[in-house]
Amino acid sequence: MTVLLLVLAVCATLLAGVVLAALLDRALPELAGTLSRQRIETEAPDRMNRDLAPAFYLALAAVGLSVVPFAPGLALIDSPVGVVIWGTCEALTIIVVFLHGWSPNAPFPLIGAYRYAAIGLPVMLPSMFVLIAAALPAESLSLVAIVDSQREVWNVLRQPLGLPLFLVVALTLTLRGPMDFADAADIAGGTSAEDSGAGRALWQVARLAMLVSVSAVAATVFLGGPLGPVLPGPVWLWLKTAALMAVLVWLGNRVARTTPSRMLTILWVVLLPLSCADLVISGVVAL
Amino acid sequence: MAVIGDTLAARAPAAVFAAIGPGRQAGTERLFARRDMRRASTPRDASILLVAGDIPSEASEALARVHDQIPPPRATVQWQGEDPDRIVARVMETLKDLRVSATGEENRLPDAPPNEWKGIGPHGQGGKGMMGGTPYGRPMAMTGPDIRDGLQLDRYSARIGPFAPMLPPGLTLEVTLQGDVICDVSIDSPPFAQPADADAPDLCLARVLRLLGLDRAADRVLGGKRPGALWVQGAISRGLGRIDGTDMRDRVAAWRKGEAAPLGPFDLPRLLIGAEWSEAMLILASLPPSALIRAARAPEAA
Amino acid sequence: MTDLWVALLSLFAVWTGWRVFRVDSMVRASFSLMLSFIAVGAIGVLLSAPYIGVATVFMMAVEMMVMAIFMVMFMMNPAGLNPMVMVHQHRLSIGAGVVAALSLGAAVLFSRPPEDAVRAEADVVAELGHELLGPSMLIFETAGVTLLATMVGAVILSSRQGRFGAADEGSRPPGLSDGGAPAGRQPEGGGGHHHHHHHGGHG
Repeated sequence: MTVLLLVLAVCATLLAGVVLAALLDRALPELAGTLSRQRIETEAPDRMNRDLAPAFYLALAAVGLSVVPFAPGLALIDSPVGVVIWGTCEALTIIVVFLHGWSPNAPFPLIGAYRYAAIGLPVMLPSMFVLIAAALPAESLSLVAIVDSQREVWNVLRQPLGLPLFLVVALTLTLRGPMDFADAADIAGGTSAEDSGAGRALWQVARLAMLVSVSAVAATVFLGGPLGPVLPGPVWLWLKTAALMAVLVWLGNRVARTTPSRMLTILWVVLLPLSCADLVISGVVAL
Repeated sequence: MAVIGDTLAARAPAAVFAAIGPGRQAGTERLFARRDMRRASTPRDASILLVAGDIPSEASEALARVHDQIPPPRATVQWQGEDPDRIVARVMETLKDLRVSATGEENRLPDAPPNEWKGIGPHGQGGKGMMGGTPYGRPMAMTGPDIRDGLQLDRYSARIGPFAPMLPPGLTLEVTLQGDVICDVSIDSPPFAQPADADAPDLCLARVLRLLGLDRAADRVLGGKRPGALWVQGAISRGLGRIDGTDMRDRVAAWRKGEAAPLGPFDLPRLLIGAEWSEAMLILASLPPSALIRAARAPEAA
Repeated sequence: MTDLWVALLSLFAVWTGWRVFRVDSMVRASFSLMLSFIAVGAIGVLLSAPYIGVATVFMMAVEMMVMAIFMVMFMMNPAGLNPMVMVHQHRLSIGAGVVAALSLGAAVLFSRPPEDAVRAEADVVAELGHELLGPSMLIFETAGVTLLATMVGAVILSSRQGRFGAADEGSRPPGLSDGGAPAGRQPEGGGGHHHHHHHGGHG
């Protein structure tokens, strides 16, 4: 019974979140317009991967969301290694975006694909460091335990570097603004340059779904997830998730995107040491 | 559900792919700062092809190819210098018609592969070996020395333009890429001539902002407001597109103050070779159209 | 139930592993291999090793991504148009395959795996952590740091851009004074190669 309710909660959150994200992006009418158009094909595409990439992206968003506890102690996938499951979803997202760019058999999508892989791999490292730092006070890799460890003080205060670094990861995973190297303007929309019709609409929906999941994970790990006074747990989670989604959309619209090589330097030289520092400081504090 | 979808779709801004002809760059770019118009970054995302001005006959085949890449139902709208409000009204009218008729315009070119998929070898394969050659009549990438590290990496040659949205209208480049590093470039055709209004500082700044992923900021700039974006100058590396002692950052700074950034003559291919694709596109956007047209025509005259 | 899942996942792992050699593109081959590893990781989760199972999927995802990138970098359309056979040296590989299958099969049949089932309340992740950072710490840390140093060293050695100029042009450190003699120990004899190594050490 509880499992059924949790499945329902994950699906409803994903659906409502996608609609909210589309409203924030002012993209809802556009999605409907794209859906009504036909699809045209490139020459000799990798059809299987082209059709699977958006579906896998959506599935990863769903799996990522199902490790998030909707109430203290209550997650659909209540695994002792919830954080690692989420990290796996992140790593597989890079592959999905790569396949999306690879499959149309065209130059701009391919450039977008390997640009994204080059950026995505160094982004994984800060992501892992800040997530492990958040797991230290909980002395567990389970997201349920991480929520419990924030009853007195949220991780966003205990580890002030964590959330900003994780927002960079979130922008990368959702192909947004300053970290959108896969679908950038200088390569005519990159991995989606050759998408049309329903396939294009589905890819955009999957991006929005990932925005919901990554915001929910960030809310859980850094903002105490379902913890909060008066209102029931799920409502707090939804409020925090929606707030983080708005922050991510705002950042995506306002911050300029630099060139990939420059961003690589920034990732390795600035963000990686910062996340290392976050891990060390959190470790010392947790002792 | 379908009804909701249709009502929503009717409220969407018109997704338009613009093919800009001589003298129409400034007008078209200002047209897309409007809320009800959206410039599609690829024909596949559009339902309407806006042909602004008279496209020279050399580019007509490319225009037909762009047209055929727009997913049906599709339509073409010609813009010959009418008032912007009238052209937007016409685009909206055409969109409404498209929603009723299911197909729209037919292909202009035959939908057939440029070469037959017919193998030559005993197993029906197209060529020999794993790399290079022209299997099935299609040239394959072959390794060559990388211009940075001397490693043997694939070189991919392609002709890009004249309606590619990140290039100035009319410019066609023949580029050889290794990854996204440009190791060779030649100018196939120079940009179409544009009057001085295309050099306006707000238009130049808006072009750069769009490349930096700041579409809304670009619209604000064209509406006479401040861009309202973070890290615009910082995102541009120092020394990018340096000509006569000024680099792209200086030019963008001048445009943000509303000043023009005139440029002396320069060698366009030399500016682009060795740059990564995204850097090269930023460099091109940092050159005022008039200076760019002069530079692109110089090798032709020589 | 667990037995059925393990059997199904094993079949999936074998099938995707076989697909690696049957598909005609390196990208598909890389990701078939990844699917095979994902199935193995899922078996690990079912066998009460959640951390090792999920971490296998995580590591393999990143590794296969790197592999696919290198494939595309060296052959932009690997086997997209030209023929490509994923199998070569038939006799040798058949022999090696048969020997490996027989010996692994024999190991499974003749060895005696431990029979005590994992206690339901056992905190396997914490126990694994105590093992890795306790008795086995030296061996894991040595292996880890050695691998990291190898990777960093390989990148530095193969890079043309040195601290003092391109590696194949004989890099020279700048002088201590403006236009003065290069700083550091002077190399004996020519050869840009030597320059690089000598001064690399000082850098």
